[in-house]
Amino acid sequence: MVNYAPKTLQEALKLRQETQSVPYAGGTDLMVENRKDVSYLFINRVAELQQVLEDEAYIRIGSGVTFTQALENKLVPELMKEAVSKIAAPAIRNAGTFGGNLGNGSAKADSVLIEYVMDAKIRLLSVNGERIVDVDRFYKGRRDLDLRDDELIAEILIPKQKIEKYAYQKVGGRNALAISRISFAGIVDTQDGKIKRIAAAFGAVADTVLRYKEIEKTMLGKTVEEAKELRETYIKAYMDNMVLTRGRVSAEYRKAVCENLLRDFLELI
Amino acid sequence: MEKISQSVVKKDHAAKMEGRSIYVADYNTAKDGRKILTGKILHSKTARAKVLSVSVPDLPEGYFYVDARDIPGDNNVNIVLDDMPVFCRDTVEYIGEAIGMVVGPDAKEVDRILSGINVELEELEPVLDLRKSTEAFFNYEYGHGDLQKAFAEADKVFDEEFETGYQEQAYLETQGMMAEPEDLDRMFVHGSMQCCYYVHGAVKRVLGTDNIHILQDVTGGGFGGKEAFPSILATEVAVAARKANAPVRCVFDRREDMEYTSKRHPSICRYKAAVKDGKVTALDIDVIFNAGAYSTLSAVVLQRGLIAAPGIYNVPNIHVTGRALKTNTSPCGAYRGFGAPQTFFAIELLMNHIAQDLGVEPLAFKEAHLVKQGDPTSTCGEYHFPVPVQDMINEIDAVCDYRKKRKEYAKAQEGRFRRGIGMSMYFHGAGFTGSGERDLIKAVTRLHKYPDGKVEILASNGEIGQGLRTTFCKIVSHELNIPFDDVFFEHPDTARVPDSGPTVASRSLMTVGELLRRASVQLKEIWKDGEEQEVEERYKEPDFLIPFHLDKFEGDAYPTYAWGVNAVELEVDTLTGVAKVLGAYGNFDVGTPMDYNIVMGQMEGGLLQGIGYSSIEKMDYDNKGRIRNNSYSDYLIPTTKDVPNLKCLLHVEKYPYGPYGAKGAGELPLVGVPGAYVEAMEQALGKGHRLNHAPFTAEDTLFEIMKEVGK
Amino acid sequence: MNFYLNGKPVSHEGDPAARLLDVLRDDFDCKSVKCGCKEGECGACAVLIDDVLYNSCCVAMGSIEEAHVLTLEGFRETKQFAALSKAFGELSAVQCGFCIPGMVMASHALLLKNPHPTTDEIREGLSGNLCRCTGYNAIVNAVENAAKEGDGLW
Repeated sequence: MVNYAPKTLQEALKLRQETQSVPYAGGTDLMVENRKDVSYLFINRVAELQQVLEDEAYIRIGSGVTFTQALENKLVPELMKEAVSKIAAPAIRNAGTFGGNLGNGSAKADSVLIEYVMDAKIRLLSVNGERIVDVDRFYKGRRDLDLRDDELIAEILIPKQKIEKYAYQKVGGRNALAISRISFAGIVDTQDGKIKRIAAAFGAVADTVLRYKEIEKTMLGKTVEEAKELRETYIKAYMDNMVLTRGRVSAEYRKAVCENLLRDFLELI
Repeated sequence: MEKISQSVVKKDHAAKMEGRSIYVADYNTAKDGRKILTGKILHSKTARAKVLSVSVPDLPEGYFYVDARDIPGDNNVNIVLDDMPVFCRDTVEYIGEAIGMVVGPDAKEVDRILSGINVELEELEPVLDLRKSTEAFFNYEYGHGDLQKAFAEADKVFDEEFETGYQEQAYLETQGMMAEPEDLDRMFVHGSMQCCYYVHGAVKRVLGTDNIHILQDVTGGGFGGKEAFPSILATEVAVAARKANAPVRCVFDRREDMEYTSKRHPSICRYKAAVKDGKVTALDIDVIFNAGAYSTLSAVVLQRGLIAAPGIYNVPNIHVTGRALKTNTSPCGAYRGFGAPQTFFAIELLMNHIAQDLGVEPLAFKEAHLVKQGDPTSTCGEYHFPVPVQDMINEIDAVCDYRKKRKEYAKAQEGRFRRGIGMSMYFHGAGFTGSGERDLIKAVTRLHKYPDGKVEILASNGEIGQGLRTTFCKIVSHELNIPFDDVFFEHPDTARVPDSGPTVASRSLMTVGELLRRASVQLKEIWKDGEEQEVEERYKEPDFLIPFHLDKFEGDAYPTYAWGVNAVELEVDTLTGVAKVLGAYGNFDVGTPMDYNIVMGQMEGGLLQGIGYSSIEKMDYDNKGRIRNNSYSDYLIPTTKDVPNLKCLLHVEKYPYGPYGAKGAGELPLVGVPGAYVEAMEQALGKGHRLNHAPFTAEDTLFEIMKEVGK
Repeated sequence: MNFYLNGKPVSHEGDPAARLLDVLRDDFDCKSVKCGCKEGECGACAVLIDDVLYNSCCVAMGSIEEAHVLTLEGFRETKQFAALSKAFGELSAVQCGFCIPGMVMASHALLLKNPHPTTDEIREGLSGNLCRCTGYNAIVNAVENAAKEGDGLW
């Protein structure tokens, strides 16, 4: 098979359109899969994809930025750093990228969970232009992405935001080299005693990352007192909606942990 | 510290540190420069079936398909019983069983051929549920005292069941073996192994000739996993090499290794105890081990497990039964501890539960039952030497504040995190069980002195990381009073070394090391500068032993015992069930350490494996008999970050019949860890939780917590 | 494609999707690079690429054009290695040896970034390298000693 190693983004996009080859960023997922008869588009040397930038609205993390680079970058939000610091081990964090974590389409992707709760958008590029898609729309299902054959993931756009309180928990099988068995991230901001924003996302428990914006809406504008009274109602709403799968651990365990972590998170209000 | 215990830089340090050691996968060519063919096994994908036919696609030039029909000798792997075939007979009995092997120069082409082979089967109903298995490979019973009377007179009777799971050795180097036909029809087999003479016996039988020799290559960890399985793989490559008349190598990938090679036996132990006046007066114990599809080493594993079943407590009346049952799963085998971790787990938890029920602190309860020197063993032998366990408990308490923490954590704990601490105590019977050393192994060692004064150790024991190349040389150099650098011990080749027995049972240093010490005494007496000289030493059973009779399980099962005490301190997250090990402590008596660092390395490594066995190392098979946890991402072993606070102590109670007082060491540190871990978990959970299985995972923990609120 | 192996320019003809691990072992005879799992889960095949630690099983050849690859075959000629070897030797931190090449490369990568790591930082730095023999204490202590005694080398 033919493989391609572009040096510039323009070149990469052109090759992507012409060949539909599989983008290779860090290799940590692709090489484990070890697919036969595949052509790779080696985008790991494309400098334009390896920057962390900021503009008025967003922190823009290039898809080729590795987890190690992110941990050493001042612009990357703390919540993202906390999640990324718990990925695998140094050699994997040195290779693994934000684009690859997304592109693998797994619900276990630790950076993607944070992108969900922070309302990130994914900037996709092709020779024909750009598309910007909300992360939860981009992630359609297990290994099912809103990514066209000629597109590359270019950047993760994280809206600049002040996070008042957050909770993050990764449940892996051990303290390092652990694939998430359950992960949870939640953010809550209050203003004048009322809930201004609430976001909660669950990773590694179903085919895709789970976030229920409808349930969150029911909490918005509630006073802290009201929210506390309604806490069990909210939890029930979540639990009724969550259909979990078994993986390395049982669905029952996942559900119980999700409920516990959600309840604990709602204590922050 | 005694001189012999002072650490030296290990003989194999430089080569391993510099990455120059050649493991079996590292050879570029055979010894004579020929290209090595790649062999890959055609594994059964079905747990139980009649094999009707195997159709192999047309093979390109230079490629071979090898199976039972190509075996010149006997299609039996020489282990204990004759049930395990080299390549399957008419049936396959577990997923992974070798049906045949494809051999050829290009690995990718071998893979392609393998995937093109069609195996026609008639599926049979596999036995997968251990409780439903009716076929016992081995069935033992022993006991003494008057059980009926004790139970009749008891104030209270306890009846509990305990379960343990698989444990995979997870050595970093997978199984690998290579066979090279030499001139004059001689077959040379070498690879990763613990016991070159076991492999020798197996290859000899399968090829039907003694015109063979076996070399242990640098071996990347064993832990028991390379005791019997290498005999299987060695015979397979030897048959293939004979057929191809070319060197053949087979190195397992991680998934093959985890799924298809031997592991620690899962167990179910039922314990009934009679208690009178605050003391356990009788134990009625029934043990079953999941042996897998073939008997391999299960006889000896079960024997050790049964002998350890009453723990290190004086109980006047005991009755023990045990069976190694067949299921259609990968044959289980040796793993550090060899059957004893399962039963020590059961007795330790049982003692905790009885104590709690009686309202006594478990540690005090256990202390009141401890065996001491002169007491009878479970098999009516004798503890001939001092039992230092009480001192060891006090020493470990001083290091981790056990008694104080135990009291503190017993108070009601609220909030997200709860803590607990637990302790276990146990022995490891040093060396072979019973009279194996005298009747079966009959170890022979030699020392060969060269004219330049250098002395070579000739023994069949293998360096597998435990430091044998160093400690053996230390013993000889110490006794001969010659420089350490003047003594050397190469990896054994059965063409050159006598059979000093296998590298198992924590016997090498204690038993073979003592032979080497005695050989050194001999050599010293006849030493003549400038001459080539050789001395030989043979095993002699120490005269203090009460002869062991396996038919009755009576007598001294072991000449002496290494002793262990563990404490484990945990913090449990009640939201996730995840436990953090705050501290893992071990106090170990292995006699005089032959090298402080080396022994410490064994103790620390074994203790960490024990923590893994207790907590995160979970392996199971599905309803087809397929092991699901077949990779390092599905079968988790501890990393650097899992038990940062791991501390070991050494307590020295010399064994007069071991070299300079050394006893068996390697297995001890793993043996009792689950008892301490799960006791700590019980205390952390509090609220009357009674736990009875290991590993005890985060999932188990959370489900246990959920019972509290009646969810 | 061209890259540098242990300081020397080399070229490789072959499948760009091939694993660096296999190419190093089979085509460049770098047998210190061990294969433990081929899934990035054990660290036995760890090497440095442009001074950064990678698992060579998870690196495709096509991704390392013009990069500098360092294996133990190259690293063992350095003073830094000598410091690590001395420290590992003094604590008998090497048992079966199979994890050691990866462990040594991970130690070097850690010390390049952080010449004076705390014990926790060492444990983090080596957390992708499984060892089944030692329980890690001796290895962690050895790296700590090497950092102290080899002060100035990194």
